[in-house]
Amino acid sequence: MNYIETQAIIIGGGATGTGTLRDLTLRGIDSVLIEKNDIASGTTGRNHGLLHSGARYAVKDLESATECIAENMILKKIARHCVEDTGGLFVTLPEDDPSYHGKLLESCKFAGIPAHELSTKEALDLEPNLNPNILSAIRVPDGTIDPFRLASANILDSTERGGKVFTHCDVISLIKEGDAVQGVRCYDRVKGMEFEVRGDIVVNAAGVWGQHICALAGVELKMFPSKGSMVIIDYRINNIVVNRCRVPSDGDIIVPGDTVSIIGTTSKKIEYNEIERLIVDDDEIEVLLADGEKLIPNVSKTRVLRAYCGVRPLVDISGDIKGRDISRGIVLVDHEERDSTGGFITIAGGKLMTYRLMAQMTANLVAKKLKVKKKCTTHKHPLPGSEKKIQPMKQIKKFTGISSSVTGSTLYRHGQRVHNILTKDRKNYGLICECEMVTAGEIEYALKKLNVKDIVDLRRRTRIGMGPCQGELCSYRAAGLFVEFEAAGAADSNIMLKDFLEERWKGIKPILWGDALRETEFTYWIYQGLFGLGDIPPKGEGKQ
Amino acid sequence: MNYDCLIIGGGISGLTCGIKCVSEGLRCGIISSGMSALHFSSGSIDLYGYHTDRKIVYQPLDYIERLIIPNELHPYSKCGIDTIREAVSFFSDTVEKEGLELYHNNDYNHFHVSTMGTVKPTYLSQRSVFNDKIKEGFKARSKIAILNFSGFRDFYPELAAENLRKNSLFSLFDIITGEIELPMFRRTEKNPHEFRSMDIARIFDSEKYLPKIADQIVNIAEGALFVGLPAFIGINNFTRIYHRLSELTGMLIYEIPTLPPSILGMRIDNALKSRFAALGGEFIAGDTVSGGEITNGSLDHIHTENHGSTRLRSKFFVLSSGSFFSRGLVSEFNIIREPVFNLKVHAEQDRREWYSQSFFQQESHPFLEYGVETNNTLNPVDAEGGTVGNLFCTGAILPHYNPIREGCGGGVSISTGYYAAKKIIEGCRA
Repeated sequence: MNYIETQAIIIGGGATGTGTLRDLTLRGIDSVLIEKNDIASGTTGRNHGLLHSGARYAVKDLESATECIAENMILKKIARHCVEDTGGLFVTLPEDDPSYHGKLLESCKFAGIPAHELSTKEALDLEPNLNPNILSAIRVPDGTIDPFRLASANILDSTERGGKVFTHCDVISLIKEGDAVQGVRCYDRVKGMEFEVRGDIVVNAAGVWGQHICALAGVELKMFPSKGSMVIIDYRINNIVVNRCRVPSDGDIIVPGDTVSIIGTTSKKIEYNEIERLIVDDDEIEVLLADGEKLIPNVSKTRVLRAYCGVRPLVDISGDIKGRDISRGIVLVDHEERDSTGGFITIAGGKLMTYRLMAQMTANLVAKKLKVKKKCTTHKHPLPGSEKKIQPMKQIKKFTGISSSVTGSTLYRHGQRVHNILTKDRKNYGLICECEMVTAGEIEYALKKLNVKDIVDLRRRTRIGMGPCQGELCSYRAAGLFVEFEAAGAADSNIMLKDFLEERWKGIKPILWGDALRETEFTYWIYQGLFGLGDIPPKGEGKQ
Repeated sequence: MNYDCLIIGGGISGLTCGIKCVSEGLRCGIISSGMSALHFSSGSIDLYGYHTDRKIVYQPLDYIERLIIPNELHPYSKCGIDTIREAVSFFSDTVEKEGLELYHNNDYNHFHVSTMGTVKPTYLSQRSVFNDKIKEGFKARSKIAILNFSGFRDFYPELAAENLRKNSLFSLFDIITGEIELPMFRRTEKNPHEFRSMDIARIFDSEKYLPKIADQIVNIAEGALFVGLPAFIGINNFTRIYHRLSELTGMLIYEIPTLPPSILGMRIDNALKSRFAALGGEFIAGDTVSGGEITNGSLDHIHTENHGSTRLRSKFFVLSSGSFFSRGLVSEFNIIREPVFNLKVHAEQDRREWYSQSFFQQESHPFLEYGVETNNTLNPVDAEGGTVGNLFCTGAILPHYNPIREGCGGGVSISTGYYAAKKIIEGCRA
């Protein structure tokens, strides 16, 4: 059996896990990360991508609010290429309780969140698509954050510093000597083989799946899964985050992100055994669209692109209470103290916004246990791609001859790393995904540098297949490029293509009407009618 | 404006219907809102390809006669086997008159190779996909080269070769892949948007580079009997180019359909439109029919977006506006409608019944079988529940068949279009 030795092992490749890996490698601690699927494929990648100012929590949860505004400021510096400083609005609709407006202003002031009252005219000038009947508006420093890019940049920085990452690997058991955890036994699903990683400390950063990891270690930690659903609107119908000024509830936010806008979010308590097969329900879609339309009337005239949902990683530390009311606070458990199980730490709760802080707290504990003196520096060191302030004009000048939408999109997604991606070779900047302006060069870079194992992973690194056509044309091209760039064999690429379209289908099914149905019919004509992709036997099966 | 027959929709079904009508001396117009499904088709005409368990049907006409005609709802059943046979041979003759020959394997299906290297049963194909030489070539052990043009991003020979190698039909063949460099195309390659099948097909049409291309093919394909190329060997001048390239290389050139636009499909589209015009038909492109007035079971007139309040009258009308993609049918949150006349539609009420759980599920998707309900002579039922006697529905707008799962889209479109034309001709002469 293959065997790796390290100091710290992190289970879970979400924001917290990747952030912890980065923090540890920055301190010079030898670390390995194991992820059962892909980076940011769990809760991290399944939210609306809001860079919270903290205002949403200000009235009810001061602690979260202050954490948010602090991290907001840090991320705007260290993760420039993952963040868009759009600003945010809290608007009061005629049907809303007008007193919440004042409460919010007051609470923001108390939490140190710069919040300013705007006239409704000023708000409409800033965001012309806004419902013209709003009664009042507050401006806050909300923004947007791309969780895929964020997690990937954390990984990239770690691997460049010697950290190791294994994606698509299941943790099948924890290795224990007496009461202490000393490593993990894994199964690599791509290679189809088992391997072991041994280390002094195992960090459980598996989010809601952490309950299972705890069980493997023989300790009990109960998660409290709560499903949140969102719908994606096929245009960027707002340029500023629009929040509804009321007690947080379903369908009260529209976040612009890249080329789309996202309406969020619902909150439904679910059983732990349901977390692997989450479905967006029709009533959720109806609520999100109806409430979204109240904020931005254009919602009703715009194509719905997808619906998706995630599970909030809340830890059940108290009794049985409703999903939205439970503390989203950070829970760091030293199982040596709590359960007398040495070498095992769980980091849970929290949110995407506080991932860096959670990583810092975890790494502090790991460093203490390993007797490493180095302090956290993740708030100072910019992530790869965000080293310098982006100067678009100067950057683009260097790539004269390449269409500026290509240069702009690459720069937007990869920041300074655009220099490792784009070249003036025609083959490099040939477009593969027209919706999102992804080039062959960007795909080659992702395949070689960003831990991409299949087309679904590639989508998270590049946005390929995320646009209006949902991978209709580019997914076949991507499958071809896996072979061309020697990232996979032809047989695996064919299967990957099928898997990718099945994965896209999951988010299309719930919103299958109008243009989504038209697009689906077209995609089906191509991939089944024209290509016969469904007739290709699954891996391992014989001749046709 | 007064017509004998006015057709809404200029796809394969509307065109077949229109050509038949004008060939019998009727005054006929076709209103077309844009490019049709031919632009993303294989360019072969499928009559019937698959049993319900996905096993291949070898003799489609026989199969239709024995197993499909008894199902009275199926559009083929409404046409009858004789009309289907007539329609297919009429269609072949029509495109042949425009210089595009279609080949069939007597009463049997033949196979065409898809972009993914899967093989699909079909009935009529262009010379570059099926002919006697290609059929003969399959009898002996030999070599197949699948080539791409360097820089062309809509075809990946390795993906196709992998699946062909796994297919027992190809077990006698040595399959290689390669790339042809075309330095003279570099200008086209410059803009990432401008290197699609259309752009290359236009260059082929010029004939200028054929000798150079042939040299490259011979070099890279090294003694192969078959050379598979992505389908773009000319559009307007295809037959001549195909012969020249075969002569120059001494190899059997085989075309594989690519991602849209489908050059194989466009050749058929061009041939049909050209035939329709040659016979005096009036093709009104870029206009959309917005509605019409049905009184006493008869469609009196229609109006279009471009013609405003002008009433377009005709003795007979045909609705061949396609399915969802072509907007012949539209879907909303929980309803499926026919948008022009609000005709009665066969569809499930609950949206969750419209689709299957997996995208590639063998049963395919129910929404593909939705469409406008008609009587046995393809006349639809209007919102009031009455039959509209002078309106016929043809092609993909019809329900109760699944063009992809059954492999019968082209056949149904041609047969129902032809059937409607016969009924209209009868009606005009009565």
